[in-house]
Parts: sequence; structure tokens; C-alpha cells
Amino acid sequence: MSSSTLGALGVLALFIMLFLRVPVWIALTLVGFIGNAILSGLQPTFALAGTVPFDVGSAYTLSVVPLFVLMGEVASESRLSGELFQAARVILSGFRGGLAVATLAASALFGAVSGSSLANAATMTRMALPELRKAGYDDGFATGCIAAGGSTDILIPPSIILVIYAAIAELSLPKLLAAGLVPGLVLTMLYMGVALIVAYVRPKYAPDTENYTLRERIASLREPWQFMALFVVTIGGIYAGVFSPTEAASIGAFGSIFLGIIGRRLGVKDILRAIENSVAVSGVLLVIVMGANLFSFFIVQTHLPELLLETARALNLSGLAVMTMIILGYIVLGCFLEGIGMVLITVPVFQPIIVKFGYDPIWFAIIVVIMVEVGLIHPPVGMNLFVIQAQAPDVKIGAIYRGVVPFLIAPFILIVLMFAFPGIALWLPKLFYG
Amino acid sequence: MNRDQTLALLERLRVAQLRLAAVALVVMMCVTVADVFLRYVFNSPIRSSYDMVEAMMVLFVFNGMSTAFLQRRNIVIDLIDSFVGRRSVRVLIRLSDILTVAVLALFIYAMLTPALQSYGYGERKLELGLPIYIEWAAALIGISGAILCAAGAFLMPTTVRHDETVE
Repeated sequence: MSSSTLGALGVLALFIMLFLRVPVWIALTLVGFIGNAILSGLQPTFALAGTVPFDVGSAYTLSVVPLFVLMGEVASESRLSGELFQAARVILSGFRGGLAVATLAASALFGAVSGSSLANAATMTRMALPELRKAGYDDGFATGCIAAGGSTDILIPPSIILVIYAAIAELSLPKLLAAGLVPGLVLTMLYMGVALIVAYVRPKYAPDTENYTLRERIASLREPWQFMALFVVTIGGIYAGVFSPTEAASIGAFGSIFLGIIGRRLGVKDILRAIENSVAVSGVLLVIVMGANLFSFFIVQTHLPELLLETARALNLSGLAVMTMIILGYIVLGCFLEGIGMVLITVPVFQPIIVKFGYDPIWFAIIVVIMVEVGLIHPPVGMNLFVIQAQAPDVKIGAIYRGVVPFLIAPFILIVLMFAFPGIALWLPKLFYG
Repeated sequence: MNRDQTLALLERLRVAQLRLAAVALVVMMCVTVADVFLRYVFNSPIRSSYDMVEAMMVLFVFNGMSTAFLQRRNIVIDLIDSFVGRRSVRVLIRLSDILTVAVLALFIYAMLTPALQSYGYGERKLELGLPIYIEWAAALIGISGAILCAAGAFLMPTTVRHDETVE
């Protein structure tokens, strides 16, 4: 049996295990271990399995994961998002759909301190949904806005998924964090456009009546200063080369605790809960990275990407055709895989192929994360939708599905724009890092 | 020792490991913030901050994973739940519990050789001077706690959590 065939069988075995409810990290570890053992023998594989957990567990570069998770957890606990939403609703009042646009703006701003889409969706459901309902918004439209807004969190830095992606694909984390910002903002604007169109076409979905004076709008700008300060210091610090990602994440986590305490939004219990949640969430993530490392070693040895590349060339497929097939593949995978698993399983296979076709791996990373976003919000298994329903059990899942469907057009418009103008993702990394 | 007593003991182990990991996280954050502050304000960085963060990461990772195992918080694809009966799902959950213990045991076994080699070579952290075998020992102790917690999942009911993912 050739190594490429073994690689394909390994990927198949991985999917079967995942379908059989085997945890993602175990499926990756087992396929990686058994595959490496077949290809290289038991002794080198045991050596690999002995060093990989320690290498991951003592990696300075990966310390950024728990620290950014902590920053987001503290931001959720401290109810800063409530202030953000209030500021956005005042500034963006006076037109139909204004509150929906404010929800999307607040979600994007919250994404600037939180790297978790699900945390964003859960927080915004608690903060924004009661206000949207009070204003007479349709439940489906309101929850659709929250789900879509929450998904931008994984593009706008700090993004946990981009941190994991950088580690597994051996890409520069600062470059990836820079690459995600503009697409994240463009996607937010596209979502706002969709919200305004829905509000225009279905006026009863968004009966806005709020309007504030110019003075009130200017006054409300004072509220989100803490968010802006945290974002500018942490992510701005990385972009400017003042801090390493770990330093920025530490300062962000420390700063969010500090701001929560001086603003009296955070008690000792809230801080302890945030820290403990960060430990639990990061523990889950980092064991997956261990498994993904073993899996990547296996895939590299199988030369499976080379085989797929040769097949694509033999079929005279263009780079665009290959990318289209990969994107379609992600749509299918997004129906049953969660985001981190999707990235860790596919990137070792796909990245070498797209690089050979001349695409930039940083640009491709952003495309993959956009597809993960689509997976988070597309029915029937978009996790953001379930999180929203868990927070608002009286909203039917059918209404949430109906509400989110119009927003699904936006990520695909962004992908088309990124093909036409790769600079959307690559301009900022080039500007900062050459 | 009956089932409840065993579970209570494992819960105490989990909480102890969780708190140790939490302390490691806070130390990691404080050391890095202090290093940046001292570097930019007094031009006097903490020389061993990099090594300290790495050492804390070992404590954090290998103790932080216990909660995920005892509470079955690891990410699973639960698509099959809609196609098969509850009994089959329970069987699959138990199978995952067994695999979790097996894979962790595999890790411990595989980690013993490099840990002993590190002890034999007398490797030390560059700036902190800490012998690296101490980190290996901490990792092995932490992962041993994790394996006990993973085994404890056998005593837990096979309930399904839908609210735990991390994107």
C-alpha cells in the first residue's frame, strides 16, 4: 500500500471515529499515532508521542491561547458588552433597522476583546435580545443579527482560532491577526447591509422608533473607551511590534481585570469564575493541538497533499477550480464538524496544495476562517444558533434558522471580494511586516 | 470505597488541579506584565520571564486538562445522536471514556523515556537554571491526575453536553 493511500485511509478513519462520537483530540491522536507507527515503525512513533505533549505543553508561543481566552472571559463577566450595546444603539439610532445595525456593531466591537464566537453570541443574546424584543423586532431577525454578529468574532483579532491556526500551519501569528482585521470589518459592514435590506423589505420585522440628539450621540461615545483602549494597547501593540502576542495577551487579560475592578463591574467571584473557565476551555483546546501535531506529522509523511495536487494537475484543474472545490468541501464539513476540528483536520492537507497553486497561505487562512464562520451560523447545526437558543429558550429554533438565512449571503460576498481583491486580507500584514 | 466517595475524591483532585492551573495562568500573566512594565519603564526586564512562562505553561496545561476529562468537556461531533437510540449513544460515550484513558496512558508511557533522558543529561532552563526534568516530572504528575479524572468519567452518568464548545 502506498503512503498516499494510507494517508487517505487515515483521513477516512478519522471521519469515521468523529462520526462515532470519539472526541476530536483522541481521533487525531489515534490516527496520527497508528499512521506514524505503520510508516516509520513503533520506536520513532513512541519518541514522537512522548515529546509532542511536552512540546505543546511547554510552548511559550501557545501561552497566548489561555491568556486571550482569559481576556475574553473577563470581558464577558464584566458586562462591558452592555455598555457597548447601549453606546451603539444611541449612535446608530434614527433609521429603520438601527437597533439591528447597533447589535452587529456591538458584536464586532466585543470581538475586539474576545476571541470566542460562542461567548460573543451568548453575551449579546443576554444584552441585546431583550432590547430588540422590547423595540418590537421579529424574534428570527433579532437572533439572526446576533448569530451573524457573533461569528465575526473569530476574524477580528484577538481570535483564538487564528492563534491555533498559526500554531498548526506554522504561520506568523502577528501576520494572521493583522490579516483578519479588514475582512472582519468588511464582513460586519456586509452584515449591516443585509440587516438594512431585511428591515426595508420587511418593515414589520424592525419597527424602529428610537432617535437621539447629536449631543446624546457624542456623549455616548465616552462609554466604549475601555474597549477601544484594550484593543489599541493589545492588538495595536502587536501590530506596532511593541509586544509579542503573549505579552499583548497578558496585558489584555490584566487590563480587562483592572478595568472591570475600577469600573466596579467585576467582583472577586467573577474574576475567579473567569479564570477557571479559561483553564477549562484552554485545556480542551490544547489537548486538541497535541493530537493535531501527531496527525500533521502523519499527513506530511504520507505525501497525501502531493497526490491530491498531482490529481488536480492531471485533471487540468485551475487554481480557482481547486479553491472552489475546497470551499464547497468546507460548506459540507461545516454541516457536521465544529470549527477548530475542521481547521486542524483540513489545513495540513489543503495548505500545501493551495500554496503550490500560487495562493498566499495567510490569505487562505482567512478564507478557511470565513468558512468556519459560515459553519457556525448555517442551519441545521450552526453552533451559534444553538447557543442563542440555549440563552433564549422561548425563541423557536425554526425562527432562528429563518432569521439567519439572509445573513449567509454576506460571507460568500466577502469570499468573492477576497478573490477579486486579495489585499483585503494581505494589505495590513504587508503594511506592518513587509 | 463506594462510588460516591470515589467521585467526591476525584472531584477534589479535579478542583485541586484546576486551581493549580489557575494559579499558573495568573503567574504567567503577572510575570509577563511585570516584564513588559519593567522593560519599558525602567529598561530592566525580568531576564527569566520567558522560562517562567514556559514552566507555568507545563503546570497549566497538564493540570488544566483534568476538568475536561472528568466533566467530559472535550469536543465531540454529536451528529449521530439524531440517528441512533440513547442506548447506542451511551455505549459510544463509554467507548470514548475507554479511549481517553488508553490514549492518556499511551502518552504517559511514551513520555517516560524523554523524561528520564532529560534527567540523565541534566538539561536546564537557559535563564532560570531550572532543571528541565522537574518540568517533565510536573507534566507526568499532572497527566497522571488527568488519567484518574478520565477514569472517573466511567462513574459519571452518560449525559450529553451540548453547551460546551470553544470557537
